[in-house]
Order: sequence, then C-alpha cells, then structure tokens
Amino acid sequence: MAICTGCSLLCEDIVAALKDGSFSHVKNLCRKGHGHFQAAFTERTVPMIDKEQVDQDRAIAKAAEILRNAKSPLLYGWSNSTLEAQAAGIKLAEKLGATIDDTSSFCQGILMERILSGKIPTCTLDDVRNFADISIFWGSDPSSSHPRHLSRFSYYPRGEKRQKSYEEERTCIVVDVRKSATARLCSNYYFRVAPGGDGEFMEAILAVLEGKIPKVGDKKKMIELSSVLKKTEWGVIFPGLGMIYSLQDKMELFERLLAKLNEITTFKVIPMVGHYNMRGFNELMREKTGFINRVSFKGGAPVHGPEYSVTATARTCDAALVIGSDPLSALPFGTARALARLPLIAIDPRRSLTTDAAKVVIPSALSGLEAGGTAARMDGVKIKFEPIIDTKLLSDEQIITRIMEAI
Amino acid sequence: MASEVEVTIVTVRDIFQDEAGRKSRFSDEYKNLSALIILDKQDLIRLDVKDGQRLLVKNEVGSVVVAARTSEDEAHPGLAFMYNSPWSNQIVSDAVCESSIPGNKRIKATLSAAEEDITQISEIQARMQT
Ligand code: SF4
Repeated sequence: MAICTGCSLLCEDIVAALKDGSFSHVKNLCRKGHGHFQAAFTERTVPMIDKEQVDQDRAIAKAAEILRNAKSPLLYGWSNSTLEAQAAGIKLAEKLGATIDDTSSFCQGILMERILSGKIPTCTLDDVRNFADISIFWGSDPSSSHPRHLSRFSYYPRGEKRQKSYEEERTCIVVDVRKSATARLCSNYYFRVAPGGDGEFMEAILAVLEGKIPKVGDKKKMIELSSVLKKTEWGVIFPGLGMIYSLQDKMELFERLLAKLNEITTFKVIPMVGHYNMRGFNELMREKTGFINRVSFKGGAPVHGPEYSVTATARTCDAALVIGSDPLSALPFGTARALARLPLIAIDPRRSLTTDAAKVVIPSALSGLEAGGTAARMDGVKIKFEPIIDTKLLSDEQIITRIMEAI
Repeated sequence: MASEVEVTIVTVRDIFQDEAGRKSRFSDEYKNLSALIILDKQDLIRLDVKDGQRLLVKNEVGSVVVAARTSEDEAHPGLAFMYNSPWSNQIVSDAVCESSIPGNKRIKATLSAAEEDITQISEIQARMQT
C-alpha cells in the first residue's frame, strides 16, 4: 500500500503498480491524487544555477553560499515536506538567523493557532467517521479540494455509531458563496452567503439558536437550520478558506458560535488544510518556538508577527529558499514579483513558475512516492510512509541537511 | 449593454483545474482551465459577450485577459468566480487585514471585451521580472 500526499487526508490505501517507469495500475486514488502521482513522470527539475544545468553538489554549494552571504534570508514553503525535513528547516533558520514561514501564513494559520492552543475544540477524522451525524462544510468544497473526504470520513462510511450512514444518520450542510460541487450534493442544506457575509451568517445562527429573528437569510430556512443544529448529537465544522478569508480579523465570532453550539450539544472543528503536511509544520513550530508560523530568528530567540509573514518578508529579505511550494503561482502578484526578483533557491521535484525564476534549482524526491517520512494529517494524526519508487534523488531532509553542513 | 461592468470576484477551487496544474503549470490544458472568469448570464448580456469570448479583467493591482464562462449556479449578477491560479493572482492585492490575509475572496474589478489574446503563462512570468 502507498500513501498519497496529494492533500492533507494522506490516504493510506493506495495500490500502485509500476511498469517501465510509469504506473501500470493504480487503485483508490481520486482525480487529484491521480494528477499528483502522474506528476512523478512529467516536468521534473534538474540541478541548475542561473538556468545552466550543473551537478547536484554544485547547486547545493551555491545555495549554501547564497544563504551564508544573506543578511536577512527567508525560508518558505514547508507544507509539502515531511516532519523530518521541517525539523531540519527550523534548525537551518536558527543557524542562519533567518525568517521562516509556511503556506498557513495566508491560509488556515489563524484557525490552526486556535486549534493547537485548545481555544477551539477539535477531534480526529476517525471520530467523525464513527460518531458524526452533522458535518458542516463552511467555505470549503471537499469534492474539489479533498475528494475522498466524504467517502472516507464525513458522509458515506458506516462508523461505530453511524451504521445507517448517509441513508439515514448523516447530514451534510454547506455554507458557501456559490453552489460548489459539494453544495450540489447536499442541496437540501445549502446556505448561500454573500462574499464577506460569513460573520453576519454566524450572527444569524446565534440569533435563531436563541429564539430571535435572524437579520439575514431566509427566515424559514434559518429556523429549520436551528432545529437541525439543536437535534445534532455529534457535529463537526470543516472550515475552508472561504470562511477564513471572509471572517478575517473576526474569528471571535466563530468562537462565540462554537461556544453556543457546545452549550446545546457537541460540536468540533477540523480545518480543511490543503497541503499534506501544513499542520505538521504548525505543530512542530509551536513545539520548538511557541509560534505556529511567521517566525524570525534574527536576534537569536524566535520572535513572531505579521511582519515575518511571507507577504511582508518577500519585500524585506535579501535571499529566499523556497521548498516544495510554488509561491509565484499561488501568491498575489505583488508578493510573487518581489520573490522573483530575489536570489531565489528552489527545492522542488517539479518545474514550476518558482523554479523557472530561481537562481538555484535543487531537484528533490517526491514525498510519499520516492521519499519516506512522517506527516500530520489535517486532524493531527501522524502518518508514516515509505517510498514506493527507487530514486537517486535526495529527499528534502537530506538536501536541507547538506545545505546546513555546507554553511 | 455596457462596455464595462464592475464585478466582485471570488477565487475558488476546481478539481479538474487542480489536476491539470499538478501535471503541468505550462500546459494548454492548465491554461484553458485556469484563464477563465465565471459570470452570471445577466453580466454576459450586459457586456454583450458570449461564452468563450475574451474579457479584460482589470483593477488597481493589474490586469489579465481570460475567457468568459457562463455560470450554472443560481443568479449572481455582479459576482464572478475565478479559479486560484497565476491568472487570478494578477489582480489579487497583497494584504488587506491585520492577519495579513490576501484579498482573494473579494476582488473588485472591471470587465470589458478584449481584443488581445488570453494572457500566456510566459507573459505572466515576464511581468514578474519587470
Ligand atoms: S483525497 Fe487527497 S490524499 Fe486521498 S487520494 Fe485524493 S488527493 Fe490523495
């Protein structure tokens, strides 16, 4: 069995047979996972300096030289690397006095911080499969982002207390600005909100739960929602970026809603983390520095703040190492452009906009397929994996360790 | 009919586009599934453009040329959707709140029919170097 590192569900039941350098047969992969596995055979990177192919040792030596000479380097990415590589990365940041940040900085970070500090109640996906009768996808669309979520955990499976499953015992509710693929599946309980309207919708739920008239939403539907929530035995909310970006600095509204729901029944939260090991990075950083992301080691001791986020630091750092991430595709144009103008070191198995713009490219083995290690699933459960393809390529952890030794 | 229409754009995900991006960021398949804006029927009528025609999407951050796609959702005039990609990121501002979260979910932009071709990935790469 192989593990898919295509998203933070880290599906462990993948069967993959190889023949003549490609997959002859795969089983249990979703479409997204299939694309992820196919990526092992397309557009692989080669070691490069200034767009010229070099050997791996020279690329590593050049990366070490750039980082050694930088006054304020940024180390970014990490969510698509194993816990072992992340631990090596944090050590490298300490050694260099660098800023270190990951994709959670502009993603699930503000929610994950509350989950890891215990402010927001959480559970495992196995609890969801065994006990949940209500799953709320709030600003998230698992059918697009985590395609096997509904079949493995939240809707279709028969769990310990949910033998009658989706036919009788499970209900999915979707709150979103559009009728997403998941909303089409759960159309009886689809609530459309205006962009930025999630906070108002939370206030409306709080109002109906307290027997008041809601200010937004169809009143009849809101009263029906209130009655579904009150009858819930074991509920879980899966917030996506839609909710987080909409709430922005008003996360306390979400905390209030959860407190109210937990006065009535049991409600837990699992953030719909995208990258396969974003949560692992947040947990590790919290353990080692007290902060989940956006940390600078410039003065020795770790300090944290928005000024150390990738969006801010891209403009103030003088070199950047990007690992397993393509910020030039994924981040707003201004940040992408600021990064593109830096002496950039890209560690990646595959060609991307970031590797194209990098001064130094170091190819790496694909985690899960060509490199083993450990990762934290979206619910924090640790999953260990072994490679299924032999490769001479170095893993992220080995590359970071070699750079550190060269410095 | 209006030559320009103001919309609020929300960036969203799509599994087909995601899969194409995992296979290659430089393929026509990824471009064709990414360089899109999904609009309400009424907005297409207001712009006098048909499904598949090119639109210039412009705001104070930047501009990009993408293909119009008719929404299959319930009516949402004034609200448009783009998939997360280097194309949508051309018009996303960096940070809009204390949490330094970029403004992907409420992008104000102006749409108009475009003469130019769909923006190529090579052009986006070149813009980053200027
Ligand atoms: S749901 Fe995620 S981990 Fe599972 S097969 Fe699909 S992409 Fe891979």
